[in-house]
Amino acid sequence: MELLDPTAESAPLARAGAPRLAAIEGVTVGLLDISKPRGDAFPDRLAELLVARNVTVRRYRKPTHARPAAADLRSQIANDCDAVVEALAD
Amino acid sequence: MSKLADLDDGLLVVVKSDCETCRMVEPVLGVISTRTGIAIASQDDPSFPAGLTVMDDTDLELSWELQTETTPTLYRIEQGRVVESAAGWNREDWRRLTGIEGLGSGLPVSRPGCGSKIFEPGTFERLNHRPGSLRSRRVTVAPEVDPFEAMMSLGWSDGLPVVPPTEDRVQGMLGGTSRDAAETVCVMAPDLVECSVEKIAINAVMAGCKPEYLPVVLAGCEAVASDLFNIHGVAATTQFAAPVLIVNGPIRLELQMNSGINALGPGSRANATIGRAVNLVVRNLGGARPGGVDRSTLGSPAKWSLCFAEDEEGSPWEPLSVERGMPEGMSVVSAFAGHGPHEIVDQASREAESLASSFAAQLRSVGHPKLMGSLDALVVVVPEHARVFADSGWDKLRLRDELTDRLTFDADEVVRGAGGIAEGVPRVRLQPRMAKFRPDGLWFACAGGTAGMFSGIISGWTGGPRGSQMATVSIDNWK
Amino acid sequence: MHDITNLEDLGIPGVFVATSEFESAAIAQGKALGFDPPRVLVPHPVQDRTDEELISMADGALDEVIGALTRSAIRDPRSARTA
Repeated sequence: MELLDPTAESAPLARAGAPRLAAIEGVTVGLLDISKPRGDAFPDRLAELLVARNVTVRRYRKPTHARPAAADLRSQIANDCDAVVEALAD
Repeated sequence: MSKLADLDDGLLVVVKSDCETCRMVEPVLGVISTRTGIAIASQDDPSFPAGLTVMDDTDLELSWELQTETTPTLYRIEQGRVVESAAGWNREDWRRLTGIEGLGSGLPVSRPGCGSKIFEPGTFERLNHRPGSLRSRRVTVAPEVDPFEAMMSLGWSDGLPVVPPTEDRVQGMLGGTSRDAAETVCVMAPDLVECSVEKIAINAVMAGCKPEYLPVVLAGCEAVASDLFNIHGVAATTQFAAPVLIVNGPIRLELQMNSGINALGPGSRANATIGRAVNLVVRNLGGARPGGVDRSTLGSPAKWSLCFAEDEEGSPWEPLSVERGMPEGMSVVSAFAGHGPHEIVDQASREAESLASSFAAQLRSVGHPKLMGSLDALVVVVPEHARVFADSGWDKLRLRDELTDRLTFDADEVVRGAGGIAEGVPRVRLQPRMAKFRPDGLWFACAGGTAGMFSGIISGWTGGPRGSQMATVSIDNWK
Repeated sequence: MHDITNLEDLGIPGVFVATSEFESAAIAQGKALGFDPPRVLVPHPVQDRTDEELISMADGALDEVIGALTRSAIRDPRSARTA
């Protein structure tokens, strides 16, 4: 669908993301595992490496990869974590 | 792109094969083609008339431009314009236009034509465009993405769903005005953006307006963007204010705007979407977004939409628009920086004196009972209250005078600290007697259901040149 | 993608790790949403990789993942202006 821009078009069409972290050390990172049946080797290793950088890692998994996470899972991540990594999409 | 403008000077006929009159004149077209030349445009089948060069107008773009209502219609074109035309077959007309004596001698003197294909369903919606005329940036939403979610993500919404502004919808909206899409309506603060008819139409689509509402939206934007109204201040203030729109004149009835039960509430598409469209323009074009330039501490539901019509038929008084200096019978919108409503419950007063005292007691609380001359107010007087004043022979001027008397206080009553309340008039501004409202800071409009002795105060924002003043503009000017 | 976008809306910085095969779909979706979240790409495919290979892919992605979460600004916003 093609829409007509209702704004003054003074800015590129993009919205800003959340502010980035000052440093990775000491933060809590949510690892949202969307790896398909291939297994957990990639996220497991990523978690291990982050922990080695003094990061607290919390693991989350969606019931299905075919749709966005439910609101309660999102708010749980938002409440418990400072940042989120979603992996591994193929 | 005009197809008409590209035509050479000379004759043009619009035909369709599925028309008996067109088939009847087929030999005549052959004669004209040989003698003087003629451009032939077919609405349905470019292989007709056989053996002649025929333009394909099956997309009807040329027919639409000509507004061809009948086939055949014979035109004489000069410099891309129609200078003469004849619908159907009429021997004399065709002879005159072509200058060919004896043309169609074997045919009847005249025969009516057939209905043009431009009347077929869907054609209006498709062709009532000014193709290529819209200049706004196109934003593509991928098929797998819900456009409603995309618009939210893009920050285009006030928090409620908005209607996707597709080209068809925007073109349809532009049908609500005779103004050119590119014309500038106003310069909207805080970003001082030139708002074109097109950009405002896009926001009107998103707000849910019908095309016939567009002139009110355009006028509302003009009023809100005026120096008098000062939208920069209204949008940026930490107070509650929003543009409140009051509509007067015949357009209220044409658009079925609500001035009765729930006039300030939900239920009327026109009330709801016209006010919303103006607020979306302030947001999307003016750039006043909550948390950005819009710093309102609490905000107000009026920032979504507060737009209503005055009940002129039920009012004992002249309409607000006339009091504002506009001619009676003109459709007019007034913009007031306010929020609310705040109620005046009085089910007991049968005399104007008593009811005015109730009004005054409640009006004193606008802003704060001890603040004088700063905030304006608009009182929405309901029919059962208006009748009490009318029965006592009070016009609006009398009511305003009586309220001013009741709302003028001694300095020691309103000065900071008086009554054990720190808030109040600062000593430097203190005068012996202090009026609650500025001379043009108290307005009245009649609206509401016929049952219920509950008028409404729409509290204003800082009035006067330092703040916002009511702005009143013609809607007819934007039709 | 939607998850990262939604969480960014909630103030949580995020990064999306995907195979290179996924990239074009991700870009289309990001544009359509009006937001192009940071992403880290690893080589496609993954189905037939050994655990050792996947572990080494994670080793290779770590710096970029951390960079995406900590850099002061996300990548240049893309304009969705069409020609």
